[in-house]
Amino acid sequence: MAPDPITLELYRHRFSGISEEMGITLQRTSYSPNIKERLDFSCALFDESGGLVAQAAHIPAHLGAMPDSVAAALAVFDQWQPGDVVILNDPYFGGSHLPDITLVSPVFLPPSNRENRAENGPQFFAASRAHHADVGGMSPGSLPLSTELYQEGIIIPPLKLYQGGELVEALLELILRNVRTPDERRGDLAAQRAAHAVGDRRLHELAALHGNDELLDYAGYLQEYSERLTRAAIRSWPQGSFTFEDPIESVVDGRTTPAPIRVTATIEDDTVTLDFSGTCPSIHGSLNAPLSVTRSACYYVVRCLVGEDVPVNAGCFAPVQVEAPSGCLVNARPPAAVAGGNVETSQRITDAVLGALAQALPDRIAAAGQGTMNNCTMGGENADGSPWTYYETLGGGMGAHPLGDGFSGAHVHMSNTLNTPVEALELAYPLRLTRYHLRRDSGGAGKHQGGEGIVREYEILRPTTATILSERRAIAPWGLAGGSPAAPGRNLLIDTDGTEEELSSKVTRRLQPGQRLRIETPGGGGWGKASS
Amino acid sequence: MPTALVGIDVGGTFTDFVLLQDGRLQVYKEATTPEDQSRAILSGLAHLGISPSLEGGAASNAEIVHGTTVATNALLERRGARTALLTTAGFVDVIEIGRQNRPHLYDLYQVRPNPLAPADLRYEAVERLDTEGNVLTALDEAALSRTAQQMAASAPESLAICFLYSFRNPHHEQRAAEIMRRSFPHLPISLSSDILPEYREYERTATTVINAYLLPLVGHYLQRLTGELGDLPIRVMQSGGGAIGADQAASEPARLVLSGPAGGVVGAFRIAQLAHESPQNGEEQGQKQSLPTQCRIITFDMGGTSTDVALCPDTVPRTAESEVAGLPLRLPIIDIHTVGAGGGSLARVDAGGGLRVGPESAGAVPGPVCYARGGDQPTVTDANLVLGRLDAGQFLGGSGAMELDVAASEHALAELGGRLGSLSLHEAALGVVRVANARMERALRRVSVERGHDPRDFTLVPFGGAGPLHACDLAESLGIPRILLPPSPGVLSALGLLIADVVHESSQALLVDAALLAAQPDPLQDMLAALEERVRTVLAAEGIEDPALEASLDLRYQGQSYELTVPLAMAAPGNAPSGPNLTAASIRQSTEAFHQAHADRYGYAMHSETVEIVTVRLRGTGPGADLHLPREPLGPSDASPARLGAKPVWFNANAAHASDCYDRSRLRPGHHFDGPAIVYQFDTTTVVAPGWSASVDERHNLLLARAGS
Repeated sequence: MAPDPITLELYRHRFSGISEEMGITLQRTSYSPNIKERLDFSCALFDESGGLVAQAAHIPAHLGAMPDSVAAALAVFDQWQPGDVVILNDPYFGGSHLPDITLVSPVFLPPSNRENRAENGPQFFAASRAHHADVGGMSPGSLPLSTELYQEGIIIPPLKLYQGGELVEALLELILRNVRTPDERRGDLAAQRAAHAVGDRRLHELAALHGNDELLDYAGYLQEYSERLTRAAIRSWPQGSFTFEDPIESVVDGRTTPAPIRVTATIEDDTVTLDFSGTCPSIHGSLNAPLSVTRSACYYVVRCLVGEDVPVNAGCFAPVQVEAPSGCLVNARPPAAVAGGNVETSQRITDAVLGALAQALPDRIAAAGQGTMNNCTMGGENADGSPWTYYETLGGGMGAHPLGDGFSGAHVHMSNTLNTPVEALELAYPLRLTRYHLRRDSGGAGKHQGGEGIVREYEILRPTTATILSERRAIAPWGLAGGSPAAPGRNLLIDTDGTEEELSSKVTRRLQPGQRLRIETPGGGGWGKASS
Repeated sequence: MPTALVGIDVGGTFTDFVLLQDGRLQVYKEATTPEDQSRAILSGLAHLGISPSLEGGAASNAEIVHGTTVATNALLERRGARTALLTTAGFVDVIEIGRQNRPHLYDLYQVRPNPLAPADLRYEAVERLDTEGNVLTALDEAALSRTAQQMAASAPESLAICFLYSFRNPHHEQRAAEIMRRSFPHLPISLSSDILPEYREYERTATTVINAYLLPLVGHYLQRLTGELGDLPIRVMQSGGGAIGADQAASEPARLVLSGPAGGVVGAFRIAQLAHESPQNGEEQGQKQSLPTQCRIITFDMGGTSTDVALCPDTVPRTAESEVAGLPLRLPIIDIHTVGAGGGSLARVDAGGGLRVGPESAGAVPGPVCYARGGDQPTVTDANLVLGRLDAGQFLGGSGAMELDVAASEHALAELGGRLGSLSLHEAALGVVRVANARMERALRRVSVERGHDPRDFTLVPFGGAGPLHACDLAESLGIPRILLPPSPGVLSALGLLIADVVHESSQALLVDAALLAAQPDPLQDMLAALEERVRTVLAAEGIEDPALEASLDLRYQGQSYELTVPLAMAAPGNAPSGPNLTAASIRQSTEAFHQAHADRYGYAMHSETVEIVTVRLRGTGPGADLHLPREPLGPSDASPARLGAKPVWFNANAAHASDCYDRSRLRPGHHFDGPAIVYQFDTTTVVAPGWSASVDERHNLLLARAGS
């Protein structure tokens, strides 16, 4: 039976509507600022074999990682009953980095008459992933400058948190005993479960109206439809193999060395293979990426090139093959530390893939953006002795492109979280901002100029420990088609007497009142030769 | 009191007039004159026999309320003033950085629209306040005088001044304005401490800059209009659903940005309120269409390019969080959700073989294929025509104002069906309607289910040219049991203008712990007194001496980034709270209301958490015109006197249903008929789907109900 194109469009709205509604429920009922304000979460529906049917993603970092979570749950469990919920965060088995906790639950629809379907198993799976504010480990916020996974927090392999609707209390108690803010975790997990309940309910409503056979059929047709759209787009690209290398900045004992990410993009007919052979081995530090993070970055790039209105499902990714040698920087093996892989290395993987494809599609790709999220974590004690911690990420320049200048002062590629207003920051923490403006002339020159970075300068009002996890401090974001590279970022410590000390890209320092920390974020690369 | 009231709503195609005189309503439409909206206004007034006194003659005793798109269009088309911005030194780019997110996640080519105040028109002032408004760095007046000289070279037409923490202490902004006025005596200046004394610098700055950007243009337009209207008093609809005099409106044009759609919701809600009061409602036996006692409606305004929906849970919903043309606007507006689907939405087949409808629209030119103005891509309107829901002979009341080319629509949709894989003409047309409905259904879900409201408890009120065509389908898919069709759904916005209250609202950031404030309420009382003075002053200029005052508070749990607005009980209308004890109780009441609102909206409340009062709001209201629509007693139920005949209408692709056609103007209170049926009237066409029945109430509303509900 062939799909009816109208019903297909209706199901595209229905399935994506369900995943969006799950997302709204999660956002509204969660406690972690990362979830409810930064929108660092995703909700998705999967078919009986773990194929992604629909996903509501507010940040691209989860694109490729959600299917791995369901695959991990299916690999461990072959028996399901209604009310089961699997929990996991193991970056080496379905996760990405430890703060991202994923739940997977089966959906059992009323029995179908179809002979070729197993009558006893679930017909769909609902999954949600959310960035929890803390999962333990060596520093609050669980994004430490770590060197092995065990320092980063509690590791949860796929386990049933609920069995037939019954909470497995021992497991929850174990998890909560290993995090700094257990009540918040309990609330966030309840919020995720509430989202799953919405997904379950809406699928049942749809099945009651249209029959579960139609639901299952169209879940499959939608994947074929997205695959057709993606293949059609790739077929229009020039064939060939294109290699590009872009390094991250590995810092060991204060010394920076480039650690290259190398990718060869091979376009053949309607498929694209992204092969990371030649990438350096895992490094001593937290910037290693598990393969699911690497996949997310690759899928993000393909999605940018194929178009935003292709429904997100397994079909989008079927024509995209990602290969990376085991144990390399972008396919790390345990127990390599991965806290920064998701936030920083994912950006460089994106740059590398874009750089390779730019050789094939010179008029479709923008120059490199700032390529970092400029993670700043600060903390100390308030005047009344109570502790405070604060985490923020900073935007920078986006790359210029054939049609115009790059965006200034924005998050690029894998992130899109909001800033904290100056007036909100100063009201809440013993910090004062002395500057927050665009960093003039930091964008690369060219026919079109790269976007400008940002200058944000904090005056310290009480003793503060500051940790910076940043990239593109030594190696500038590249220009394209003759455009100039952007200015790399700078982290500066300004003493009370005005002397400036340049800090490394990854650093923890104890700061005193009157000292100022100035972060200058990278611009975006220029595009095309500047007319002189 | 004036003897006549006129509501004038300027839309993209038509300017609608509703005249209320001697208790009677008169409706008129005039083609909009986009280059100068006032031309259509004057000629329409002349048609209605209302004349301004210009050469000493007697003006008509009439009052005008105007909904205008001048501000909206200027923003969307970026035609506002050359606007300069003066900020605290070190923070000159706040307007450009925004919230540091990008609008499109997966677009490598996005270009940021030029900020309304471009980089070469942004200037810094050396000054700095702390979080409490204390001076950390005094305003450097000498440096500012030099800045003014530099600014002169770039010849700004308007100036916005936005300093950090000016909501705590406006003195630096005010002093800076004085210094700038020395160099630019005629330059309009907008201060953030006047326009939006609330916290969060980007939102405050953006709102103030929008105001500065619109001031010269809107001011000029309203000045010209009032000049031409002579002695006829005119008020302008604000985005929040209340009207205000033209002079005040011209001074705060940022409050007019959503003037247009506001009238529709106010009108729909008032009509629905009256219908709910009707004695027919519930008291008479055997009336299947009786309405519940609470006026809970979802408005559904479907036009050519977009559809606006608003959920009114027994009140018109307002919010202070909106975005226009990609900019945050933090002034009161009616909470309306818009989706890019309308009658002109284009249908196409994409590369994967799927049918897509919208958001691209055929607009007025070339318009749908059936307009025969050069459009060749089928639209939702073409699909409705092919399905027999629209009628070529009845378009615009069969006035012959526009010929519809059915054959052209059929050709375009048959071709679409072919490209979709040998679908029949009617399968393709039904598909287009169903896909458009799916997009609007999501908009309706967003304002209802996703905010914790069950659509089954609501009545759908469709209006706009296309709303009544799609209402039954949408009600069906959301389980909405009732539909209320006002007598003139096509001019409901103009009716809403006519009855709008006169409103002025003022707000101020407070940012204190609610529990601490309950123990020591003086700061809140002082703030309320100041807000009251502002509101009373503005309303006194409108001739309203004793406005109804409503206070509300924006609250949040400490650490949250979003607030919820809850009412603050005041001692008596117009009086400051009469004592600390009462205010303490009021604050505790508001805090309780906040916990409840949080639980309703987000599913949980945290009673042990610290609650923070972020913003204090005061709304002053003078009553608008009272609408007494003529009531006629219910007559016999036989609707055959209004029956025009029958025609085939496709509700499924296999066969057409023979459907009765009715003339709305001949339907009388008490008439009753069953679907499938089509009701024609000048400004819209209503589809009564199979399984639905229709009856006319005492005020000529058409009530549709689903069989078995």
